[in-house]
Parts: sequence; C-alpha cells; structure tokens
Amino acid sequence: MSLLEVTGLTVRFGGLVALDGVDVVVAEGETVGVIGPNGSGKTTLFNALTGLLAPAAGDVVFLGRRLTGLEAHAIARLGIARTFQASRLCLDLSAFDNILIGMHARRRTGLLDSVVRRGRLVGEMRAAIERASHLLALFNRDLPRRGFERVGQLPQIDRRRVEICRALAAGPRLLLLDEPSAGMNPEETAELMRDLRIVRDEMPGLSVVIIEHDMFVIEGVSQRVVAFNYGRKIAEGSFAEVARHTEVRAAYLGTETAHA
Amino acid sequence: MPPLELLLQQAWNGVMLGVMYALVAVGFTLFFGVLDVIHFSHGDIFMLGAFTGLTVLAGLRAAGVGGALLALPLTFAASILVTGAVGVLAERVCVKPLARASPLMTLLATLSLGLVIREAVLIFYPRGADPKPFPRLLPQGGVELGGVAIRYENLAILGIGLAAMVAVDLVIRRTRMGAAIRAVAQEPEAAQMMGVNLDRTVDATFFLGSGLAAVAGILSGLYYSEIHFIMGVTGGVIGFSAAAIGGLGNVYGAIIGGLLFGVLQTTAAALIPRGSEFRDVVAFAVVMVFLVFKPSGLLGEKSVERV
Repeated sequence: MSLLEVTGLTVRFGGLVALDGVDVVVAEGETVGVIGPNGSGKTTLFNALTGLLAPAAGDVVFLGRRLTGLEAHAIARLGIARTFQASRLCLDLSAFDNILIGMHARRRTGLLDSVVRRGRLVGEMRAAIERASHLLALFNRDLPRRGFERVGQLPQIDRRRVEICRALAAGPRLLLLDEPSAGMNPEETAELMRDLRIVRDEMPGLSVVIIEHDMFVIEGVSQRVVAFNYGRKIAEGSFAEVARHTEVRAAYLGTETAHA
Repeated sequence: MPPLELLLQQAWNGVMLGVMYALVAVGFTLFFGVLDVIHFSHGDIFMLGAFTGLTVLAGLRAAGVGGALLALPLTFAASILVTGAVGVLAERVCVKPLARASPLMTLLATLSLGLVIREAVLIFYPRGADPKPFPRLLPQGGVELGGVAIRYENLAILGIGLAAMVAVDLVIRRTRMGAAIRAVAQEPEAAQMMGVNLDRTVDATFFLGSGLAAVAGILSGLYYSEIHFIMGVTGGVIGFSAAAIGGLGNVYGAIIGGLLFGVLQTTAAALIPRGSEFRDVVAFAVVMVFLVFKPSGLLGEKSVERV
C-alpha cells in the first residue's frame, strides 16, 4: 500500500509555475531519492507536502487522508517530519531541548502539571531525554553526553544528526530530508550515508524522501529515484535508469538546442 | 555631590520604578522575539490594566469585599485576564493580517490601536480625563535602613513584581508552551514542522506579555496612588526603551533594561540640579547614546538589521 500519493500537484508563485502537475507515490518503508537542478521544484515539493505552501491544484493523500488545506502543525502531527537544507536547529538551545521540541506533539503535560503534578512532568522529561539519548547514540555514541550543550557548539555533522533526531523524535511515518549533505566534505558525506542506513535498519517501516545533489548519496541510499526539471517530473525509476535518461542528462549537462 | 544616603534612597526608588518598567519591557521583548513585531499599543494595554484594576477594586468594594488580601489577588487575576484577552485580540487584528505587509504597516496599526484604547478610556470611563485616585491597599509605614527609608508598600510592590517575573521565566523555561514559544522565536517554520501550533503559540505569547502589563499597571496605581488615561504613552515608550537597552528578544535583557532605566531616572534626579524636572531627558539621552554605541542592546541576540 502506498503511504503517500501526490497527484497533479501544482504550486504557483505569481506567474511562475514552481511545480507543474507532479505525481509522486511513496510506498511504506521505501526510500525515494529526488534529484534535479537548482530551482527545479524539489524543495517546493517538500514545502507543499508539509503545508508551508498552499498548492494551486492537485491532491496530497497521506495514510488515506487528504492533506491539502491542513495547517502545517496538523500535517506534522499526522506523521510527516522533515529537515531543512540550511539547518533550522535552534542553535542557542541544547540538543536535548531541540529534540524535545520534536516531541512537542507527543507531550501530554500542560501548564498545570508544572505546578501541581510535578511528578508527571519529571517522568515525562526523563523519558524524553532517554529517548533523545537513544536516538543520538544511534549515530554517535559520544553525542548523548553533549546533549545539554548548545547545539551551536557541535560540529556540522553532529548538528545534522541532531536535526535528524529531532525529526525522528516525533515518531514519523514519513521523513523528508532536504539535501542533508549540503556543506559537507566527502568524509562527512560518507558518515551521513552510514547514518541514513542506520535509520533505515532501525526503523524499517519508515519511508524516506531525500533530496540530494550528491549522486553518490542518491545511488547509495535510494531504492527509487525521481528527477525534476522546471517543476515537472521528467524521469522516474532505479538510479541506473534515471541516470541514463536523456532528458535528465540534458538537464544536468546542458544540451545542444540547435537540433532539439 | 549629594550625600550617599540620598543617592541610595534614589537608587531604591529607581528599583521600584524599574520593576514596573521591566514588566512592560518583557512584553515588548516577547512579542518581538516571537513575531519580530514592535507592538506599540502595549503601553496603552498597560494603562488599560491599571483602569481595569481600579474598576474591579471599586466593584469588589461595592460587593463588600474589603480586605486587601482577598481583593488584590482577585484584582490582579481579573486585570490579567482582560489585558491578556485584549492583547490576543490586538495581535489578531493589527499584526496577523499584516504579516506579509511591510513592518511599517504593523507599526502604524498598533500605534493606532493604542490611540483607540486611550481615547476609549477617556470617553467611556466616567470623567476619564481626570487623574483617578488609586486605593492604598498595601501595608503603610516602613523602616529605615542606613539612612534609606524603605516603605512596606514598596517591599510589597517589589515582591509582586519579582514574583511575576519568576512566574514568566518558569513558564518560558519549564513548560511545554514555553518550549513552543522559544522554538517559534528561533525557527518558526521548523517549529511547525515539529507539530507546534503557530497561532496558539502566538496567542499564548500575547496573553503572557499583556497580562504582565496588567500587573505593571496595577503596581503603578499602588505606587503613585493615582492613575491617568495618558500613563500608557510614557509607560510604553519607557518599556520599549528598556527592552531595546536590554536587547530586543531577550527576556532577561528586558528586566535589566527596565531596572537600569528606573535607576537612571531617579539618580539623575538626585545628581543634577533641578534634576527631577530633567529626569526623563537625562534617561532618554542615555538611551540614545547607548543605542548608538550598542544597537543590539546589552544581551541582544538578534541584530537590529532584522527589524
């Protein structure tokens, strides 16, 4: 059964068509890679899926529910989590604080509990920190020990890990990763690929859609690849198939327009 | 040079004023932190808090509830509810619809709303143009400590003000809503992606900040034994200056800024000949000089360019 079904999704910015009738299907437990030149609509797809942008036309169905028209936080609560291309961690907060925000929708204690039922709150906090430590340790055994430090003091790769942990903390069914290797050197990128495989092994039911420019990463982690150009889906299939596709090669390498 | 006792006395008086300024400043800084807006009707919401307090006190007296120990908590609670609700309404009317417009529009809209609140009190409150005596409900008398007269009334004001600040600090640092507020302040889009309800969080922030203004308004009534419909104008400008000195967006900065401004005003009054007439001139001049050299404020995180 498909977890996510996108049909005819169209997003316009004034006269510019950023997404033009895009169809994408994601199955449960599947990792889909999204490639395409800059400005081809990849991040716009994520923004429309998560409710940050309102589509002009088309349908998004997730777990049998229509998402179009829902507010961003409501979509997040249904089980879609994401990371951003440029890190959107709260750099002044600790790693634990950041991950705790990821669990926001799951927390059950309110203002009153902070005053009268402290035990419940303390219990919830303990459980949250334990879960956050567990998630951090998946990627880096030493990271939980730095959980109370400001995220801004962590190296780039660990920040990315905290961000992925924050997205995973809510227990999503679908994880959207927007160019996780951005700004990383080849060693860090290799570590990132290892991290993504850990996520897949630990959470086999989780579906992942990953936007990447690094073809090495796309080839390494995705079972299926979708290619975009000018807001349209131009190819879909295995990495090898998409890489051979003439339109994809043209989009990346340029084309002789004389006889096109 | 005035004697040391006088300076200490003035500094102590400055702390009194500073507590009230700080409470107003925290509102400014919260709104700016979360939505990047300067909510210029906040000063008049502070005034509205004082008038609501006075009305509630009169009502309680008419109903036969005389004791300050019962009347004051009820008054604070009622005023906080009223200004909190007005603050939330103000955000929905003057800020949210203009989210995509130029920040200047928000500034204009909130300034206008302040004017509406002020004029409404002037017109609809019985004899609204006159200064209103505020009942003295706090214990009178006092002690002398090293030449400084400390009135019990002032101790109570200080206690209530500090309690309100501690309460806000706890809400922000220790609750789920507080976590949402901090997250929205830093990364609104990412916070929504985590399931944080943006509208609810903004409502909570405006309720919190405006409720604090009510506390400040009532304390001001208790301190001066008088309130006036125009008090929100200076109150607002001072509160905003205090928040700016501390660094807009930083709650502790706003508290420090408020205290600093209060002490600056009163010590200026003591140090300069005919100083009490010039105290606002001196205090605001210091603010201007300060902002020229450190525009992001004492503890500012966000640079001024973001405004």
